[in-house]
Amino acid sequence: MSMTESELHGAVQAAVVGALGVSEDEASPDATLMDDLGAESIDLLDILFRIEKSTGVKIQASDLGDYMQGGIPDDEFSDANEMITEKGLEHLKTVMPQIDTAALAGSLNANDVIKLFTVSNLGDMVARRAGGAA
Amino acid sequence: MPPSVHIRVGIDILAVERVSRLLRENDGIEDEVFTPRELDYCRGRSRPDEHLAARFAAKEAVLKVIGTGLSRRLRWTDVEILRDRAGRPEVQLHGRLAAFAGTQGITDIDVSLSHSGGLAVAQAAAICDSGGGGASCAST
Repeated sequence: MSMTESELHGAVQAAVVGALGVSEDEASPDATLMDDLGAESIDLLDILFRIEKSTGVKIQASDLGDYMQGGIPDDEFSDANEMITEKGLEHLKTVMPQIDTAALAGSLNANDVIKLFTVSNLGDMVARRAGGAA
Repeated sequence: MPPSVHIRVGIDILAVERVSRLLRENDGIEDEVFTPRELDYCRGRSRPDEHLAARFAAKEAVLKVIGTGLSRRLRWTDVEILRDRAGRPEVQLHGRLAAFAGTQGITDIDVSLSHSGGLAVAQAAAICDSGGGGASCAST
């Protein structure tokens, strides 16, 4: 039986708690994985494999970047100085609705995008994958 | 006047046991993280998990020194840690990461690995030619 969206978000939170050793309160939907919770690469790997085990949804580390960039070509997603373009910000708003695109305009480096990715954003990604989208 | 060259460094440290557990509990993780050449080398050693952990740390150290993270649609296997004829570890970049490093003016990356007391550590150093238009190198 497939999991509901709420159950998928719960599974993501449980994976974050298990991999990082943080409390459920700390792993709140709004917490960013890297900046707030201190996740490093091996933690992300651990989280993604825990999610696969509990939900059956396979996400590779490289999928995170694909999901955030949404198929936009590199030279349209960020400019020559690595700053996210207006088009890039528009897409990011669809997968990270909490971001303030006006405040980030012209100042968000492409390498820093993942630092804005929250527990809830990852839950949404898993839910989309489980539903056959994205 | 000589060209402007910068050195950038990145470091990472891991508990070997954590890597061992991830490898033990997750089918397919080895092929997602390590290249066939890395696996062949490590499996031929007396304590393969220590060598695999050191290579994982090295991959992270290299990603740090290049200045990118996982935002760039990168694969772990885009960083490959091999050994040269003298037995020293050497870094080979592949795919999108190799192209991105070039745009950053990075001309060479050296890496050193160690493992002891249940920990694996790696340090990477990148040579950046800031005259080559590398925005990231020029800013450091």
